[in-house]
Parts: sequence; structure tokens; C-alpha cells
Amino acid sequence: MLVAFLLAWSLGPVVLGVLTSVSTQRDVAATPTHLLPTAPTVTAFRSLLGGARAAGPVAAGTVSVDETQAFLRAVVNAGVSTGLTVLVVIAIAVTAGYAFSRLRFRGARVVLVTAIATLAVPVVAVLVPLFRMLADARLIDTQLGLVLVYSSATAPLAVWLFYNYCQDVPFEPEEAALLDGCNRWQALRHVVLPQLVPGIAALTAIVMLAVWGQFLIPLLFAPTSQTKPVSVLITEFSGKHQTDYPLVAAAGVLALVPPALIATVLNRSIRNMLGATAL
Amino acid sequence: MTAETRVQLPDPSLPPDGTTSRPQDWRARSDRRLGWLLVSPLILLLLGLVSYPLADGAITSLWTSDPVNGVPNRFVGLGNYRDVLAAPETRAALLHTFAYLAIALVLEIVLGMVFALTLRRPFRGRVLVFTALVLPWALPGVVSGLLWTRVFDTDNGVLNSLLLQLHVTSGRHAWLASPLLSILVITVVHVWGVLPLTVLVLLSGLNGIPADLYGAAAVDGASRLRQFWHITLPLLRPAVAVALTTGTVAALAIFDEIYVLNGTALSTRSAMMQVYDTTFRQLDFGHGSALSILLTVVTIVLAAVWVVAFRRVAR
Repeated sequence: MLVAFLLAWSLGPVVLGVLTSVSTQRDVAATPTHLLPTAPTVTAFRSLLGGARAAGPVAAGTVSVDETQAFLRAVVNAGVSTGLTVLVVIAIAVTAGYAFSRLRFRGARVVLVTAIATLAVPVVAVLVPLFRMLADARLIDTQLGLVLVYSSATAPLAVWLFYNYCQDVPFEPEEAALLDGCNRWQALRHVVLPQLVPGIAALTAIVMLAVWGQFLIPLLFAPTSQTKPVSVLITEFSGKHQTDYPLVAAAGVLALVPPALIATVLNRSIRNMLGATAL
Repeated sequence: MTAETRVQLPDPSLPPDGTTSRPQDWRARSDRRLGWLLVSPLILLLLGLVSYPLADGAITSLWTSDPVNGVPNRFVGLGNYRDVLAAPETRAALLHTFAYLAIALVLEIVLGMVFALTLRRPFRGRVLVFTALVLPWALPGVVSGLLWTRVFDTDNGVLNSLLLQLHVTSGRHAWLASPLLSILVITVVHVWGVLPLTVLVLLSGLNGIPADLYGAAAVDGASRLRQFWHITLPLLRPAVAVALTTGTVAALAIFDEIYVLNGTALSTRSAMMQVYDTTFRQLDFGHGSALSILLTVVTIVLAAVWVVAFRRVAR
């Protein structure tokens, strides 16, 4: 019973979105509204991805060539800023998380506690000053600027998650390698790194999801098509085509495919890493 | 935790080869150097992209700011804070934010507990259920907003359609027209995205409870309900604290779901949206900064309250 409710709650809206995206406008507007499309169609997807090209004035249910290009562009933009941020944040989090967990040095505790305390500082606190800083540096509407802000927003969480992860990785193999005469670097490369790979994979997935879903940050820092990611474009799009449910749903479905894939493939390690925060 | 149990191993008895420093000293020195090297990128980020902006924002909040008319900034002390707390829109936005927060936390803890207890024991297909569970958390808030519009839409919404067909109501509800109802609806969408995290945190708390405690309680004749009340709940306190803290940080920053479902309408505007409006639409950095610092203080205080109130109790 409860399992059924859980499934309906988690999947219901997603299934509904997919159904809507392959429905016709008439099905959606019917009274009562048709949940299952009577005539399933991929028109919405084709018009989004540029399959159905309307010449001259744009017919209802289709989008202009410009909009198709903007959509694809926004997907690429989101991919680029997400990818770059992941590189930066993973580098920071893996090195720092490992150091906090394994190395004893004065000040480590202070930095760790500061990083964790930062988790309670909402993005809003730094958003306004960051905007002015980046505006002064002419980094608004650049991928670099976006990556900096995204990193500021996600790195503390990533450090904390990876620190937790390292704490659960057994220390003995590493200690043995050190006692056997490996230096720190050799131990890192041959013993530690292989042990950390699953954690790095999970962390990569989590940071990717966190960045791909960002909205307010790019709304401010990515004002033009130069950098605008799909999450922001989609809201403009849904405003413009408000009544075209299938089209808007199709855009939503396309934007949810990458995160859904990541969450499914790396499900187990993501769950473990997030759950470990409770310990 | 492992950090405490990880005692330094006794000195390995190396052959006396005339080295001046003992291996332990060498290790300690290399730990320090390597440690600072590995942590330095994080320190740079914390200083440059968190601490400095935070301080800058705090200072900005004490000055007037009117770049539109080019009036020079003037120091006003806590004046901006007074203005912000007196302004009706900000008060309303803060009130909405607390409503979002309260509803979200109640739903998250109650539903989270139910789901976590459901998923606690293995059953066939549990892995698939887990996959479904995580999905809403993985989706962008904007996309969840879009997905739920088909549920709550007045004319073509599934909820109205369902209620009508079941004859629960006679007319269509405009779910996003009444302020109270729309705040509830938006919170449900928000909770949809946060709940997976709550469940995972509570679940790992549950997994940390030793099974023999229940065995002993059962031998003593304690009912399932009593076991839940006297074993599960007390031992789950740390996990609940984490769930409440993450839930609080997320709810106080609520923005995306509102923006998609109801735009920046005054009736559902959150404090975060008010900051956005003040700062980036009216370009009033002083008042915007004051409000964002206020929101930050509230977040930190509440997070501290949860951590202290639900601290691991000594048994």
C-alpha cells in the first residue's frame, strides 16, 4: 500500500509530464481532460528539436527556427557550465575531503568546520555581492563567471559529502603501504585513489545534478543566449507558449532526461553518499 | 567515528641506519605540508567566493544605494533593516516564507518517516522503488514546477478532473488563485523535490540502530508502537536534526517552484524573491542586502536550533 503510494507520488508527475508531451492539445483541453493521449504524437518534440519547420508565420503547436536553435543552444550551455563546474568542484572537494579525513595538521579542524558552517549560509547571502564583483570584472554572461558562482554554491556541500565518504573508507591498506615504505604520493596514487573512485563517481553525479538544476543563479548571471542554460530558457518558453501544454511538457521532459539518467545509473552510490550525512 | 579510533600505530622498528629524525616526525611534517597543499584550493574558494562576498554584503546593507539616480551612497547604520522590516511587501514575503517553511518541515518529517520505515526492511523490488524515490530530488526545481502544473491547472488539471469525477467537489478550484491554497500547493511541489533527501537521511539513521535493541524490547513484551516511541525515535534524533537542517535551508531559499507556478506575484512571494525584486529589479542594493543578511541570520539561527535541540542524547 505505502509502496504504491510512494511510487505514485514519486513517478506520478513525471509520467504525467511524459504523457502530456505526447498528447495533442485537444486531448489536454478536453473535458474531462484526457490523461492518456487518444492519438499519441511526437509533434512537440519534433518542433522543439527542429524537425517540423514552419515557414513564414509560426503555426500553433510549433516553434520558430530561432526558438529551436535557442533551445539547443541552452542545452549546450547548461552542459558546458555543468561540466566545467564539476571539474572545479570535484578537484576542490576530493583533495580537501581527503586531507581532512586522513592528514593531521594544525588548522584542519578550523577549515573543515568553516566549510561545514558555510552549508547553513544560503546562496542569497553572497548573490548580491558576487553579482557586483563579477560585474566589475566583466564576468556577467560568461561561462567563467557562472562556474565561479556555481562553485561557491556547491563546493562546501561537496567537501562535506566527500569528507564523510573518506571517513568510511578503511585506513589500513593506506597505513600498510606507508609502513612498507611508500611515500604519501605513491600511497595516494596506487592505494588511495583506487579506493576513492566510487565516491568520486557519486560526488560527480551529485554536483552535476545540483548545477544542472540551478535557476536563480543563471537567471541573474546568464542573461543572454551566450550562456543561458535550459533551466532558465524553459521558464521563458513556458511563459510564451503558456497554452501549449504538450510543447511545454516536451521541453520539460527533454530537460529531465539527463538528470534522470544520472540518478538511475548511479542510484546506489548517490543514495549512500547522501544518506551518510546523517551519521 | 573512525577518526577517533584511528590511533597512531606504534613506531615501526626500523633498522638503525643513522637517520636523524624518527619516521613519525617525518610523517607529521609531510602531513602538514601535503595537508595545506590539498586544502588550499578550498581555502581560496571560501575566502574569495564566500567570506569576502558575505562581508561585502554585510557592509552594503549598512549604506544607502541608488545607482539609478547616481546619488552617492550614505551610511545609515541599521536604517535599511528598519525599512525592510517595516515595508509591507517584505513583511508579507517573510510571512509567506515562514509558512512555506512550516508546512514543508511538517510534510517532510511526517512523510519522510513513513517512507523511511516503509523502505527499512528489504522486499522484492526495493531497488526499483529506491530508483523512483531519488528521481524527484534529481530534477531541476523548474522542471518539477512544470510537471506539477498539469496536476494543479484549473481547466486542464488532473486534480480538478479527478475531484469532479469523484464528485468530491462540484466546481473547479483555482488552486493558484487563493493565497493560502497556492502556498500549500507550491509547498507540496517543493517538498516533492526535497523529500527524497529526507527519506535517505532518516533511512540511514534507522540503519544505524542496532537490531538487538528491538529483540530485547520484544522479549520484554514491548509493542511495536512502544518500540518505535522508545527506541526508534530517540535514536533517530541526530538524523532528524540533519533532515530538519537541510529542509530549513532549502525552504528558506524557496524560489524556483514559486517562479514557475505563480511568477513573482505578491500573494505567494518568498523572501528570496523579495531580495531578487529589490536588488535586481529595483537595483536597490542596500535594502536588498539587508534583507538577504536577515534571511541568512534566520537560516543560521534555525539550523543551530535544530542541531542543539536534537543533539545526540546521552543514554
